[in-house]
Amino acid sequence: MYQYSNFDQRFIDERVEQFRSQTERYLAGELTDDQFQQLRLRNGLYIQRLAPMLRIAVPYGILSATQLKALARICRDYDKGYGHLSTRQNVQINWPELIDVPDILADLAKVQMHAIQTSGSCIRNITTDQFAGVAADEPIDPRPWCEAMRQWSTFHPEFDWLPRKFKIAVSGAESDRAATHVHDIGIHIRPGKDGEPLFDFLVGGGLGRTPAIGARIRDGLPERHLLTYLEAILRVYNRHGRRDNKYKARIKILVRAMTPEGFREKVDAEWERLRDSPSTLPAAELDRIKACFQPHPYASLEDETDLLAAERLANPAFDIWLRSNAAPHKRPGYAIVTLSTKPTGVPPGDVTDIQMDAVADWSERFGFGEVRISHEQNLVLPDVPQRDLAALFRLAGEQGLAQANAGLLTDVVCCPGGDYCSLANAKSIPVAEAIQSRFDDYDYLHDLGPLDLNISGCMNACGHHHVGHIGILGVDKRGAEFYQVSLGGSQGPDASLGRIVGPSFSRAELPDVIGKILDVYLQSRFEGEDFLHCCRRIGIEPFRERVYADAG
Amino acid sequence: MPTLVRDLEIAEDDWRLVDEGPSEPGLIAPLDAWRENPEGAGVWLRSDTEIEEVAGEVLAAPVVAVEFPAFADGRGLSMGALLRARHGYGGELRAFGEVAPDLAEYMHRCGFNAFVMANERDAKAAIASIGRMSDHYQASVREPVPPFRRSTA
Repeated sequence: MYQYSNFDQRFIDERVEQFRSQTERYLAGELTDDQFQQLRLRNGLYIQRLAPMLRIAVPYGILSATQLKALARICRDYDKGYGHLSTRQNVQINWPELIDVPDILADLAKVQMHAIQTSGSCIRNITTDQFAGVAADEPIDPRPWCEAMRQWSTFHPEFDWLPRKFKIAVSGAESDRAATHVHDIGIHIRPGKDGEPLFDFLVGGGLGRTPAIGARIRDGLPERHLLTYLEAILRVYNRHGRRDNKYKARIKILVRAMTPEGFREKVDAEWERLRDSPSTLPAAELDRIKACFQPHPYASLEDETDLLAAERLANPAFDIWLRSNAAPHKRPGYAIVTLSTKPTGVPPGDVTDIQMDAVADWSERFGFGEVRISHEQNLVLPDVPQRDLAALFRLAGEQGLAQANAGLLTDVVCCPGGDYCSLANAKSIPVAEAIQSRFDDYDYLHDLGPLDLNISGCMNACGHHHVGHIGILGVDKRGAEFYQVSLGGSQGPDASLGRIVGPSFSRAELPDVIGKILDVYLQSRFEGEDFLHCCRRIGIEPFRERVYADAG
Repeated sequence: MPTLVRDLEIAEDDWRLVDEGPSEPGLIAPLDAWRENPEGAGVWLRSDTEIEEVAGEVLAAPVVAVEFPAFADGRGLSMGALLRARHGYGGELRAFGEVAPDLAEYMHRCGFNAFVMANERDAKAAIASIGRMSDHYQASVREPVPPFRRSTA
């Protein structure tokens, strides 16, 4: 993974002191609440319903074992012993004291971490495929360019005070595991004729109140132009994006207003003035960054087909876990393992300090000391030798991290909701829990197959309900918490937005409603047809009929 | 009392910004008024000004002031950067309006060299904030060469 240069280290050390001085000025009454709000937001510090919340950046979701142990320590020392994995691959702690935050940041800086731009109207943490660099279906490892963009976007002189937050996602794989179609900018990296990386740009995707799929505005941009082209997009947005209404301030509204063609023309005209400027990435700089992402010293292993077959036969629970939670690795003899943070009864994405320490240990024992966070709020061990999978399964089970549900119904993506967030209309965590309790049979869940269930407590859509195969949205109905259900959303390469089934439901009704939806699928599916494709084929009507059948 | 920071020092403000014309020597006038009588006057621009449409005219002004209508409104940063780097404006580039001390560094990097601060304390804080970070990742008006293109000798 990326190792800080002297430049990087000095930069974040100075940043800690800058924030310390801002905090001191605030506490001394020299900054107003409003002024300090903007400054603390640039550093991931929210004042939430119950206490401050500090969002720590995990650039493109990669952590070293050392960094994860540092996070565990911070959760122990400054918090209540747990952290929360966010859908931007970051880590949030919910109970720090404002006065401690500069010290927390200083601790983070010692392990090459920070909280810069994890909130506020600026370019947020750049996300990518949680399997980047190891996925079998990935022609190009996107991480070096993610890092180049991380650096470029950090305290950009011109683009740190945008109309609204700005999210970039990057994928270099055939399966789009980074939801690039629903980001302000989605970037696909693919090999050109001679294997050189080419960049395709989608702009104006997003969720929230006005969900939209990104429009393709540039194909095949050579890598050296990456930063100048981004500069052109951001400049057009910074100058012309709406600032009069925060609900109309995202770039998707501007792209829609200008039309994608109009927007592209404006960006192209700006880019003509910027291309080949000094921000053009020199090969030497890319080589320096790429050197940090060289493949690990993998052993030459063989695929352990026979061993695994025997172990699976002996232990059905291991068998079912492998089916959902192990993914193919680029190298023979290795596997990518998803450690699900979604047992029933724990808010999705919550991880204790003890679990963090354990995962860090496993990453060293069964890999090269690297851990990933997925935007589905799970932990990933990217380089597990296949012969060690059974041992890892046993250990993970002891820590409550061996749920065999990655990518299945109970692998719920869920925002903090009304339990924690002051924006929410409704609670979301109890909904996740009720559904997890109802559908807790692994054979049933595996028979259902891949199924994304996403829950948001309000229109801001932090749980990405629009792109859930099944999406649940908390709504306020005359002061009571109700839930709208949508079907057929997808975050993958064929991204789509879900369609609302009909009138909303009470929380108590939801498990039954989901059960009826699943019944329709099981009765209608063709052999091997997953929920999403079945739903697209038969449309929403059969689901609607069943769900409202008793309503008269 | 409003305090001017110019070239990293607290300075006497020898200009007076007016909301409406007529434009006169010694005043910083709004664009339309300034166009009537640019002689000896500075001009101020709203944050939604299309800089391409006015850059040619305002290059001659001794002072161009850009309004920051709200604390977190970054449009003026793009205006400043374009005016300096693309259009080559060489006179005083002044930020006024909601100029928070902690944004002065961004403005400075985008080419502003003068800031109208709310009071002396904010003026001092603005000066202190500029250069607190010893270097940055990007090219800017102040440092047109990004770190990755500098010789590391």
